[in-house]
Amino acid sequence: MPVPTTDPDITVRAAQLRKAYTVTEKEPGFLGSLRAFVRPNTRTVEAVKGVSFELRGGEMVGFLGPNGAGKTTTLKMLSGLLHPTSGAATVQGHTPQKRGTAFLKQITLVMGQKQQLIWDLPAQDSFLVNQAIYEIPDAEYRATMREFDEVLDLSGILSKQVRKLSLGERMKCELAAALLHRPKVLFLDEPTIGLDVNMQERIREFVREYNARFNATVMLTSHYMADVTALCQRILVIDGGELVFDGDLSALTSGPDARKTVRLQLSRPETAARLSTFGELIRLDGLDVELAVPRGEVSARAAAMLTHLDVADLTVVDPPIEQVIGQLFRSDKKPEPVKALA
Amino acid sequence: MNAHTWRKFRVLMATQFAHMTVYRAEIVIWMLSGTLSLVMGLIWMQQAASAPGGEIGGYTARDFASYFIATWGTAQILVVWVAWELSFDVRQGTLSPKLLRPIDPFWMHYVGHWAERIVRLPLMFVLLVIFAVLTGAQYTTQLSHWLAYLLLVPLAFTLRFLLEYCIGLLAFWFEAAENFQELVWVLYAALGGLLAPLSLYPAAVQKVAAFTPFPYMLGLPCDLLTGKADLSDVLRGFFILLAWTVGFGLLRALMWRHGVRKYGAVGA
Ligand SMILES: Nc1ncnc2c1ncn2[C@@H]1O[C@H](COP(=O)(O)OP(=O)(O)OP(=O)(O)O)[C@@H](O)[C@H]1O
Ligand SMILES: [Mg+2]
Repeated sequence: MPVPTTDPDITVRAAQLRKAYTVTEKEPGFLGSLRAFVRPNTRTVEAVKGVSFELRGGEMVGFLGPNGAGKTTTLKMLSGLLHPTSGAATVQGHTPQKRGTAFLKQITLVMGQKQQLIWDLPAQDSFLVNQAIYEIPDAEYRATMREFDEVLDLSGILSKQVRKLSLGERMKCELAAALLHRPKVLFLDEPTIGLDVNMQERIREFVREYNARFNATVMLTSHYMADVTALCQRILVIDGGELVFDGDLSALTSGPDARKTVRLQLSRPETAARLSTFGELIRLDGLDVELAVPRGEVSARAAAMLTHLDVADLTVVDPPIEQVIGQLFRSDKKPEPVKALA
Repeated sequence: MNAHTWRKFRVLMATQFAHMTVYRAEIVIWMLSGTLSLVMGLIWMQQAASAPGGEIGGYTARDFASYFIATWGTAQILVVWVAWELSFDVRQGTLSPKLLRPIDPFWMHYVGHWAERIVRLPLMFVLLVIFAVLTGAQYTTQLSHWLAYLLLVPLAFTLRFLLEYCIGLLAFWFEAAENFQELVWVLYAALGGLLAPLSLYPAAVQKVAAFTPFPYMLGLPCDLLTGKADLSDVLRGFFILLAWTVGFGLLRALMWRHGVRKYGAVGA
């Protein structure tokens, strides 16, 4: 078996990566503050509990898990913001938390709300700052901007004050600024959060093109199924700080167990029992209903609903990732063991 | 300085300047609110005018005017808010994007402060001339003293900046580090000479003050302009400031290296 440490193709490696946060707990009020000052009451939260995986150059991997699972914490360790409590990470041959210049020039971390853009100035100015800081030659800068503009359509928004941009426009600028130096490894933490469907699609397109053009490694978290299905073949699933799945996405979304969610807007209330005959009832809230149905039977079931229920509106959507993952573990078959790391 | 470094400096300066011009109205207000030394000046002028012989400790009313207007102007150049920015960044997690860039955030803040000085300078200059004309304040006409002033004050600013930077970095370890900042400000104001020329303090206080960097940051450059200090004082003060600057520079580097390990990167 090849020894992974010598594999030149591996760009990101996490080996038993662990992060325990120390949280100081304080009772409310002045006395609580005083007590906390004299004898701080600290507690350890183990956010990531020894996670190991490897990513190959050019790979796009979805990093999934419920809220609080440890996704962001892992990405922060891989990008050098957090020092791991134990274990080790290697990215492009560098130790992230040393934050060496060579390392920082090869990676980027995009977090939904965190902006590196200067709020009071046009995005253009922040781009120029990045150009200088990353020492990007003029010709390369212009070429990159041209390419980014083609996909993201930045014209017209670069000269507007960042604070006056819409969320979507700002996200486009954020992303462009974060990729201006053409990093080889992208850590994207919910890059499409809060964006409309069109904008999500455009961001995905951008990431796909970037990956193809620069053979960049992409690790992406998202709570939107579409992001992951559009971009990633492989997914890592983390739950409670532990890696519980590492394998092909297709196994989850088009396997025999895959399901779709049918959203109904009824004109007349129905009982839960009656609704359950059309699929697994996920939500019943007055006239709003969500049912999970097997992927292969969507058309037939939807037709049946339209015939037998008073339906004002019907939409079919991919179930949220949590549900897919939840289903994966609910079904009595044990989750696939994490791929051995040799 | 190589081409890349020069470019970084140029772009950062231009951007920070543009950023500060957005806040020009606020800057004017900060300037006007920093009038403690002007108020002190008026009080001392009043006292001197009514004192026997028209002077206190060798300072006439006009001397006091000259001194305190110089203090006001110099203190404007020494304004530093980096401690506040840093502790905010550490606590709110806004340090994260800055940590991801291949440049020490120190330089952004440092250049940003200088850029703000450029925005501050024109109005400050106008006000200084008005104050001087109104009170008849007088300053040295020796070019060498003005040049020495221009050498001393940027160094004093750098030292104050480093000192405040270290205070800001305390946020890695403590919750409310900016309270510490107020204490240091009191020392700076008192021993620097913002409340009174240091030579009017009791001898014991003067002796203690000489061991701190503060008299050389503010009082010394002002005494130089008013003709109460000479170039040999400046030379001594310069090296004392330099030693403190190197000391705090090293402390900052050490605190940064250890503090970043403790950074929690909260948010998102
Ligand atoms: N700075 C911190 N200090 C203390 N606890 C933290 C800190 N950051 C995160 N945590 C805790 O660690 C756990 C993992 O958080 P993390 O942000 O990594 O989750 P996540 O998978 O990104 O979740 P989400 O999908 O909601 O973004 C959570 O229980 C969270 O409360
Ligand atoms: Mg997260």
